Amino acid sequence: MAEQAQGAVPLSAVIADAATGVALALRGEGDPYAVSRILRQGDAASLAALRVLGADALAPYALDHRVCPGGDDEMVVRQALTAYPPGTDASEVSVWSYRGLVEASHSYLSGGAEPWPQPPQAAAGWVTADPWPKLAHRVSQLAALALPGLAPGLADDLATRTDDLARGFVRAVRRRDWLQAAGVGRWLSRLPKVPQTLGLDAGLAFVRQMSDGEPRVAVHVAAAHRFYGRGW
Amino acid sequence: MVTDRTAPTETTILAAEVEGLLDSAEPHGVFRDTRECGAGLLLLALLLISPPTPRPKTDER
Repeated sequence: MAEQAQGAVPLSAVIADAATGVALALRGEGDPYAVSRILRQGDAASLAALRVLGADALAPYALDHRVCPGGDDEMVVRQALTAYPPGTDASEVSVWSYRGLVEASHSYLSGGAEPWPQPPQAAAGWVTADPWPKLAHRVSQLAALALPGLAPGLADDLATRTDDLARGFVRAVRRRDWLQAAGVGRWLSRLPKVPQTLGLDAGLAFVRQMSDGEPRVAVHVAAAHRFYGRGW
Repeated sequence: MVTDRTAPTETTILAAEVEGLLDSAEPHGVFRDTRECGAGLLLLALLLISPPTPRPKTDER
């Protein structure tokens, strides 16, 4: 784990707090959501947490009601995009996650005066090349992109490997890797032609129950239910 | 003017942490293969119920 400044809140705790706020908003609970309320402008850890959560930090804005993004929300997202861009040696997951946050900003925070940066090019060769266990792992890391309208090209490519993702979901559940199971299950919720024999709805409910309230699992399960009606 | 000299360092450390969290390795799985467990149990049972190895008698009366 990286060195923490003395007295600083660990990044994982900031991420967990923010994810809890997102999950509550997706379930329609708690106060009206504002990303700038749970992740502060100018705070390095908050901006890093926003970068890790990616498009999920803006997921409540994809709902039709209760939330209304303001200028502070735009500012904190711009700061996160500026502070933590993917470097030249960044992983494909990092580039895709950044792209997802930029796309979400275009879609959900479009009312501002300044234009958003263009989404970076992200390679997608891994979608067809990866063996199914690795594919499932990588897809779960990109679960935030499984929001309505985001990364349509990636969704089309993943639709050709629905059966492999279904295998990955079962494997993750058997390994008791609840975060991976929730992420893959969330993507499967978006894809057509998921095998009925998979039992995705019961599977997502099982993952939610077994994860013992882990905030990022809660976000994935809530998003699958709210946007695609899967799980319960 | 007071400047925060720790901020760039903190951001650099956090940037590395962000990359690590975004592309984290798959955790070690905790699961057991039913067939492997069954084979292990069968082997253990066979070892337990097998008769002792015959040995030559050394004391002659």
